[in-house]
Amino acid sequence: MRFTICAAKPEDCKDIARMIMELAVYEKMPDQVKISHKELERDGFGPNPFYQCLVAEVPEEHKSKDGHTKVGYALFFYTYSTWKGRTVYMEDLYVMPEYRGKGMGKALIATVAKVAKEQHCVRLQFSVLDWNKPSLDFYLSKGAEDLTAKEGWHFLRFHGIALDNLAQEAP
Amino acid sequence: MANFILRKAEPKDVSDILRLIKELAKFEEMEDQVILTEKDLLEDGFGDHPFYHCILAEVPKQQQSADGHVIIGFAMYYFTYDPWIGKLLYLEDFYVMKEFRGFGIGSEILKKLSQTAVRTRCSSMHFIVAEWNKSSIEFYKRRGASDLSLEEGWRLFKIDKQNLTANTNKKR
Repeated sequence: MRFTICAAKPEDCKDIARMIMELAVYEKMPDQVKISHKELERDGFGPNPFYQCLVAEVPEEHKSKDGHTKVGYALFFYTYSTWKGRTVYMEDLYVMPEYRGKGMGKALIATVAKVAKEQHCVRLQFSVLDWNKPSLDFYLSKGAEDLTAKEGWHFLRFHGIALDNLAQEAP
Repeated sequence: MANFILRKAEPKDVSDILRLIKELAKFEEMEDQVILTEKDLLEDGFGDHPFYHCILAEVPKQQQSADGHVIIGFAMYYFTYDPWIGKLLYLEDFYVMKEFRGFGIGSEILKKLSQTAVRTRCSSMHFIVAEWNKSSIEFYKRRGASDLSLEEGWRLFKIDKQNLTANTNKKR
């Protein structure tokens, strides 16, 4: 099946928001999605973009059951390693279930890798849920290493009230 | 001893920043993995599009370290994006020299970072900690941090330069 991978445009934000929700449902956390296409437009296409996004599109004749031609995306941003310098973090990678197995996921991650290399980035990082076997297998086949298993890294966060409390904490 | 100030890093500070980065890497038992240079830090932090921001802790000259340094702590951070909640502040490195611990400097740096996060409309501050680093994990948990690897099962992955090149060259 023919498809293209292109940099997202502001008008793609409604499709990206739709697919973000589909991915959140798959990850069993749909109630945690708090932003809409409006925030995506403001934060991705202003003078200081907070993320980059690629969209996978199929021709009209291959549109989905619900009539969509934008069927996959990869959302990423630049980060910094104090050991190695410029790096890329891939926050989301998703292809709609009916379009899997056709090379779109592979093409999306390869394009993120290409952009990373053009910007002199030395590493691509991302996170995967420990039960997500299909994704774990996909990434391992591309040469990814599980740093949580290998080096013991855990993700932590200060969120919501915890962040507010910390900001107000007396010295 | 409680006299210190927190300030934004400037281009002249890159030598101290690199020194502290290497000290922290040594503590994490990965000193040989630091390949970054002062030139990289200068270009990447103080050019047209900074890849990071840095807060420094500085003591007066009369309280300098045993090796004669007045820059004795730092935090490096940048802004990231969560498609569910929007802007986040990501804390990449956070370190206070051993001889200056226990005076509230680390707490004050963390408070400053969280104020920055709230002021810039970030919903959350994220970071990673090695699971064997019990003292750091306790420090963060005491202040309200949650461990997403334990609570939700997130695992951190990387694809390094060699494999990135291999992925770029693969035909469709």
